[in-house]
Amino acid sequence: MTSARSAMVLRLACVMAALGPIAWRAAHAQEFAGPQPAWPPLSSASLLEHGLPHAAGGLDASAFTTRWYGLPELVTRTVALGAGWRALRLGLGVSQTGEPDLGWTALALGAGAAGRSGGAGVRVVARRDRVSDFRFDAPPGAAGVEVGAGVWLEAGEGVRLWASAPQLETVGAAPPLRRSLAVGGALELGELRAWLIRRAVPGVERGLRGEHVAGAAIMGAPLGAWLEVEDQPLRGGFGVVARLAAWSVSGSVSSHPVLGETFRAGIAAGGGR
Amino acid sequence: MTGGAVLLVAAWSAVHTVLAVDRAPHETAAAVATACAAPGRPLIGELFYDAIGDDTGLEFVELYNPTETPAALAGMRLEAGDGSGPGRWTSRWTGGATDTVPARGRFVIGGARVVPAPQAIVTLDLQNGPDAVRLVWPDGRSEVLGFGAHEFPEYVCGDPAPDVPSGSSLARMPDRSDLGSNALDFQAASPSPGRANRPDRDAALPSGSLVIAPEQPAPGTRPRLSGAIANRGASAWSAGELVLIGREREAETWRERFAIALDLAPSPGDTLPFAIDFDAGSVGKRLLEVRLALPGDQAPENDVDSLRYRVGRGPLMVTEIQFHPVAGEGEWVEVRNQSSTPLDPTAFRLADRGTGVGVPSDGAGEIEPDSLVVFAEDPAALRLRFSGLDARRIWLVRPWATLNNSNDTTGVADAVVVRESDGTLSERVAYSAAGVPAGVPLERRGEDWWPATAPEGTPLSPPRTFAAQAARFDVSPRRIGAGRFAVRLSWALPWERARVAVELYDLAGRRLQSIMADGLAPGRSERNWSADATPPGLYLLVLRARPEHGPEAMTATQPLRVEGAAR
Repeated sequence: MTSARSAMVLRLACVMAALGPIAWRAAHAQEFAGPQPAWPPLSSASLLEHGLPHAAGGLDASAFTTRWYGLPELVTRTVALGAGWRALRLGLGVSQTGEPDLGWTALALGAGAAGRSGGAGVRVVARRDRVSDFRFDAPPGAAGVEVGAGVWLEAGEGVRLWASAPQLETVGAAPPLRRSLAVGGALELGELRAWLIRRAVPGVERGLRGEHVAGAAIMGAPLGAWLEVEDQPLRGGFGVVARLAAWSVSGSVSSHPVLGETFRAGIAAGGGR
Repeated sequence: MTGGAVLLVAAWSAVHTVLAVDRAPHETAAAVATACAAPGRPLIGELFYDAIGDDTGLEFVELYNPTETPAALAGMRLEAGDGSGPGRWTSRWTGGATDTVPARGRFVIGGARVVPAPQAIVTLDLQNGPDAVRLVWPDGRSEVLGFGAHEFPEYVCGDPAPDVPSGSSLARMPDRSDLGSNALDFQAASPSPGRANRPDRDAALPSGSLVIAPEQPAPGTRPRLSGAIANRGASAWSAGELVLIGREREAETWRERFAIALDLAPSPGDTLPFAIDFDAGSVGKRLLEVRLALPGDQAPENDVDSLRYRVGRGPLMVTEIQFHPVAGEGEWVEVRNQSSTPLDPTAFRLADRGTGVGVPSDGAGEIEPDSLVVFAEDPAALRLRFSGLDARRIWLVRPWATLNNSNDTTGVADAVVVRESDGTLSERVAYSAAGVPAGVPLERRGEDWWPATAPEGTPLSPPRTFAAQAARFDVSPRRIGAGRFAVRLSWALPWERARVAVELYDLAGRRLQSIMADGLAPGRSERNWSADATPPGLYLLVLRARPEHGPEAMTATQPLRVEGAAR
């Protein structure tokens, strides 16, 4: 291992060590997780969801919808916009999930810096429950804010490591889903990618219990596809993406043995590949 | 010898003879104290010296002639011995010229109140032990029967027989027993004057051994009658000789229900179980008399037993059981008159599966057909808990048999048993407490028992009916929090009964907990659940159901939002 690579790994370890002690009490929802593979970050939605900025700069926009476990009353609709200038990355997103008596509206902001060898970002998501369509009319106290961060590094030729603590702090109403620190590593060989992620289970002290995701993708042009498997309980999913110039259309489905299938579909412009 | 000398000798001889006769019993007693029976002579078969209460006229001594020829009793003396001192024998009866014991027959010497009447009626005035009786034959031979702890050997043969409790006799067992000791030959028995102590052939139905299963058979089924057969005779009988006859009382006549030859042939002294199946017949209350028929049975009095049972449902049906009250209302049981005529509640008894029997009181009126009444441990507390209840229809049952709250190893917590006052079963409901939330009664829905649809129960009212439901599984409300964490889970399945489980998942698909463990539930039902221990978030409640029998299965999911601040 070269000294430069060792230094990067060391930096990543330091970041993870810094995030770790507070990450296990974090919580988060997944309304900005679009139909994309877990790695790499392809648009500003990754910055808003994981705090991981994408390497490609420029403008990007994406809109997607998620139907959780096939439940019509639990559908998420999301719009995310991003801009990159040199290493700076900014993101803005809005999302609405669920029927009025269940759901909430979320507004997300992300900021970070990224280049070829790494990136880091922070995210802030504000949510407010709602009791009717299209209105921020939840009772007082039903709003909450969460703050998270993420970092990724190129640890070697074609090797990426990352960490994401999407919920470092919360204020007000609790988010719909508790999420903890996730760490991952990816191997990239041209258009082929493979990754492995370990997520700490919320509520388990010091992250001693983990969940794991393994995936592989071939991300070519004009088509790309990916597969993922996950444990606890064992489940899997796949997705496809079609590109034309700066535009892309993607869809994914993941299957849970008890709850059923979660469908995602979206359209995006700009961003990475 | 001169005439005077002859007269003198004759006079001396006469005096000597008289003195010898007077002395003979004592001297003979000392000489034959260990002789238990005079060979070839009748024996003491049974002695009854201590009746319950006043003995007068009830005491008897039975003589048994084991030989094949009649035995004359002329000159034989029956003496009573007072064991508190030596030589205290007094004569009670002396046989006359016509007194004879038939071959293999019996001769009873006893009081006027002995039944059947003795051959010789005499007041024996026997004492309780340690005492003795003795037969002294004209030739000087004798037989002694001593009972109790004796100090003087003249009163016993070998070891004394036991001093039996009041109401029992000392009987030679078996009737010919001659083992050289009163203790070996005699034992306590029920008095049987004039009859064999142990008959040669005697099949007996031990009292109370009859059991019918099920206790309340359905019409047209074949319940099982079981019991025991005892051979109380001295000899065995052959398999198939014994016939079990059952008959039932109908109106003023008896109707035979079965007559079955049993393959049982217990050895003398043994008892063997039997079981037969028979047709239950039509709906109704029954008194079944079971009789043994054995050719040559010498003790018919122990051949009969009976039991009461019911075919089909009884007039009072249990409809609701509160076995674990939590609001101080006491335990209670709701019953319904399902007959076509009014019923008097005091003609029924309430019990658990133990031995206690509670009697209703303090209510008023009869139970009209299709009406409900409540049998309560504490009517006042029940009315306090449920205002507006008709006090006349709430009956205090005392003593109240406390109903168990937890299952035993068989999966049954307890049973509620309603019987008529004559013991005939009206209904028995064995229940399980598993899965029944604390304080929620069990209620009857159709033929099944389930936790009540109204958590507090519905005394004197039918079960609460469910509102129509569009979805197979529903959760209400779907958003909770701010101190309101009660959630009602309801389901409407396409099956009458199903195995149902409810689990909680988070939005990431993690299984967090079991809300309702897999168990049998009605196809249409509700269950309350408190989510107060669930952290704020969005959750998914998953109902998994399958019919009690069959391969089908279904899963239904409903979201639940729990509000609250982040922890």
